Amino acid sequence: MNKANPGGEPGHHDPAAQYLADLTGGSGMPGGLPAIPGVEGSGGLTNAVDWVVGWARANSLWPLVFGTSCCAIEMMATGASHNDWARFGLEVARASPRQADLIILAGTIVEKMGSRLITLYEQMPGPKYVIAMGACTISGGPFYYDSYSVVKGADRLIPVDVYVPGCPPRPEALLFGVMKLQELIRKGGWRNSLTPRPINHSPIKDEMSETARLWEEKEKAKQEGMKEAQERFKAENPDFKGVVIKRVAAPKFDEVPRVVRSQRGLPAPETFAILAERFPGLMVQGLSEPTPEKLAALGPEYILDVIVGREDYLGLVGFLKSDARLKLDFLIELTAVDWKDRFDVVVHLQSLEKGHKVFLRCALPREEHPEIPSLTGIFSGADWHEREAYDFFGIRFAGHPDLRRLFLDDDFPGHPLRKDFEDPSRIVKRPY
Amino acid sequence: MGNGMQAGMAGASDALHAEQGRPGSESFRLPPGFTLRETRADGSQEYFLNMGPQHPSTHGVLKLVVRLDGETVIEVVPHLGFIHRAIEKMGENETFVQYIHLTDRMDYLSSHINNLCVCMAIEKAMGIGVPERGEYIRVMVSELQRIQSHLLWWGAFGMDMGAVSAFLYGFKEREKITALFEELCGARLTMNYFRPGGSNADVPADFLPRIKEVLEDLKFSLDEFEVLLTKNPIIRERTVGVGALSKDRAISYGCSGPVGRASGVDFDVRKHDPYSVYDRFTFDVPLGKNGDCYDRYMVRMQEMRESIRILEQAMAGFPEGQYRSKEKPNYKVPAGSYYANVETARGLYATYMVSDNSFKPYRIKSRSPNLSNLAAIGEMARGGKIADLVAVLSTLDLIIPDIDR
Repeated sequence: MNKANPGGEPGHHDPAAQYLADLTGGSGMPGGLPAIPGVEGSGGLTNAVDWVVGWARANSLWPLVFGTSCCAIEMMATGASHNDWARFGLEVARASPRQADLIILAGTIVEKMGSRLITLYEQMPGPKYVIAMGACTISGGPFYYDSYSVVKGADRLIPVDVYVPGCPPRPEALLFGVMKLQELIRKGGWRNSLTPRPINHSPIKDEMSETARLWEEKEKAKQEGMKEAQERFKAENPDFKGVVIKRVAAPKFDEVPRVVRSQRGLPAPETFAILAERFPGLMVQGLSEPTPEKLAALGPEYILDVIVGREDYLGLVGFLKSDARLKLDFLIELTAVDWKDRFDVVVHLQSLEKGHKVFLRCALPREEHPEIPSLTGIFSGADWHEREAYDFFGIRFAGHPDLRRLFLDDDFPGHPLRKDFEDPSRIVKRPY
Repeated sequence: MGNGMQAGMAGASDALHAEQGRPGSESFRLPPGFTLRETRADGSQEYFLNMGPQHPSTHGVLKLVVRLDGETVIEVVPHLGFIHRAIEKMGENETFVQYIHLTDRMDYLSSHINNLCVCMAIEKAMGIGVPERGEYIRVMVSELQRIQSHLLWWGAFGMDMGAVSAFLYGFKEREKITALFEELCGARLTMNYFRPGGSNADVPADFLPRIKEVLEDLKFSLDEFEVLLTKNPIIRERTVGVGALSKDRAISYGCSGPVGRASGVDFDVRKHDPYSVYDRFTFDVPLGKNGDCYDRYMVRMQEMRESIRILEQAMAGFPEGQYRSKEKPNYKVPAGSYYANVETARGLYATYMVSDNSFKPYRIKSRSPNLSNLAAIGEMARGGKIADLVAVLSTLDLIIPDIDR
């Protein structure tokens, strides 16, 4: 202690000396840390410098404004008035990685973002630190199983210093993580490497199965080891019946009848009558021979769900929008369903003025790229919905001005929402 | 297959690549998504600017490729998918009730309302009723959620406009509501609170007095907010007449929520297709005229006051009784397709689920209000300055994970 604090009075509290004492395990001699190679007697001095540099670095972390999803809100909450991370010298959040030395990975990292994350990390000047905030960046979290796009842990891309578990972690947890990082930096002092640790390009790898297997083996060995003690316990306590767990009785609830709310606007039978007049032979999902009476029997909550052929598809949607009685001017969504033997393109329309809805579906053959006319000429909003359906199902929309994948990378193999989509290199299947 | 498609297939995922060359040169290739190409006689050049996916004002990982002429925006092409987490595919391997927790992570500022939508679809499919108290809890929690979402938006909007203190003021109020939620369900953000038939727990004993306390503070703060930002000449300068979207275009793009209402689209699911017990309360749907950033701002500010109105009425009539109906041993949804919609803080959110008479959805789709709202950004930003694009993005109040799902 006296080497780091030569003039210090005994008993006087000196934080520098305290830190050194922590570092050297209380021996008082900073022998725990090596001297500068080739410089004789550098131990004491460098340790003092070490402490100053570590202290300065730890207390002026400049985090990068990096948030992909939910955890970003908690990160914002940590920075805002209630929790105020400025108390930890952290308030200078930077939007550019070139000015930051800490990246808090707030939110899931997906494959498409992975390459960008590596770029961001590489652009940060050293020494640089990474906090993995939340379950997604630790292991993929809730998106570990069945997801074809989530990177199962950010440490498969870049080295991580501190992991903060939670989904999302509370601001207090993040602050604790920051304090842990500061501890780490102080211990490292100036020896914190300016050259970054190697980055790791293995975004999707099933580590869980291997870990589970190892865990099982360990458990087995543990059981083996405890066998003798268990038998001895049984012999000594022949009357022991096991621990009785008292459970809190679950509250009992009564059945409540459902309040059925009728659809607003034009009722389904009338809508169908208007449509059948123009498009004779129009089918309704779930009814063999639709009549207004049968539709009325389906109840007031029922939303008309018509089946239309590919040849009538564009005409029907145009009619639904332009007919003065129907006025279905609002495209809620356009999507598809893979029925293994066919695709259904599903269109949901609503009339903002009158309030009624009409759903329609059009069956397409199950081909590599089945084609259907695009609705972009009728609804501007159909553009992205159709691109999404192309992305997920491979359905092509003839006449679409810019039919590209919407979410996934251009080189993504296959269309993931098809039922036969399998990609063992990306998806970890649920074991149950 | 159009030209844009080919460009998209040929280009690497990053739109702006060195080998694309300069406009006018032989090797020049438009980034994916651009269809328009102009050559200039006077030698001046248009250029492309890449915003995001790492950008503070895109509120997440959204990438915008902007075609600029000097500072004027000519075209904006958003690139999505930087947080596409395959939620719909995952939903096919989880039970109906398990899907609720995934909707928390879509629009995480409306997680209660998203949960509610899934529950409503399941209730519709299985004919489950909700007791009075359960319905009131749903409405109150949804409105609190809307207020806290708008408060966060207000803070972030202030910060985007250069007023950092607004961020602190907004969060100060929001923290009080998150504390309420925490007491209610143990979570601050990803709630997973509603269940088919009600919610998974009753409200805490001091729920009503605490809401009252929060609302009293909030009313004072909202007046303060008006002084801080609404009447601020810089904010007005940056928002009035900026990023206008006409009513027709808003409807055509499927814009809903405050974005649609600012353009004059009189559509609020709570009012025009009421669910739960919304039809019992008196509230107005604030509408804008010009559809500019200022209108979008004002609509949200007024919406918070309307939510307070709903909450006060709900508190006055909050009934006793059971908070949920009898639980089912399992949720096996009969074959068919079911649809339910709600009004989140951002607009029309819908759940479309297809069941093949099993415990797991055959296909489950969530209609994201943000996706449709963002689709109109090209029209809003066109002709404005690059700084106006930030104002447009901010008043769209985007949650990117909700778009990408």
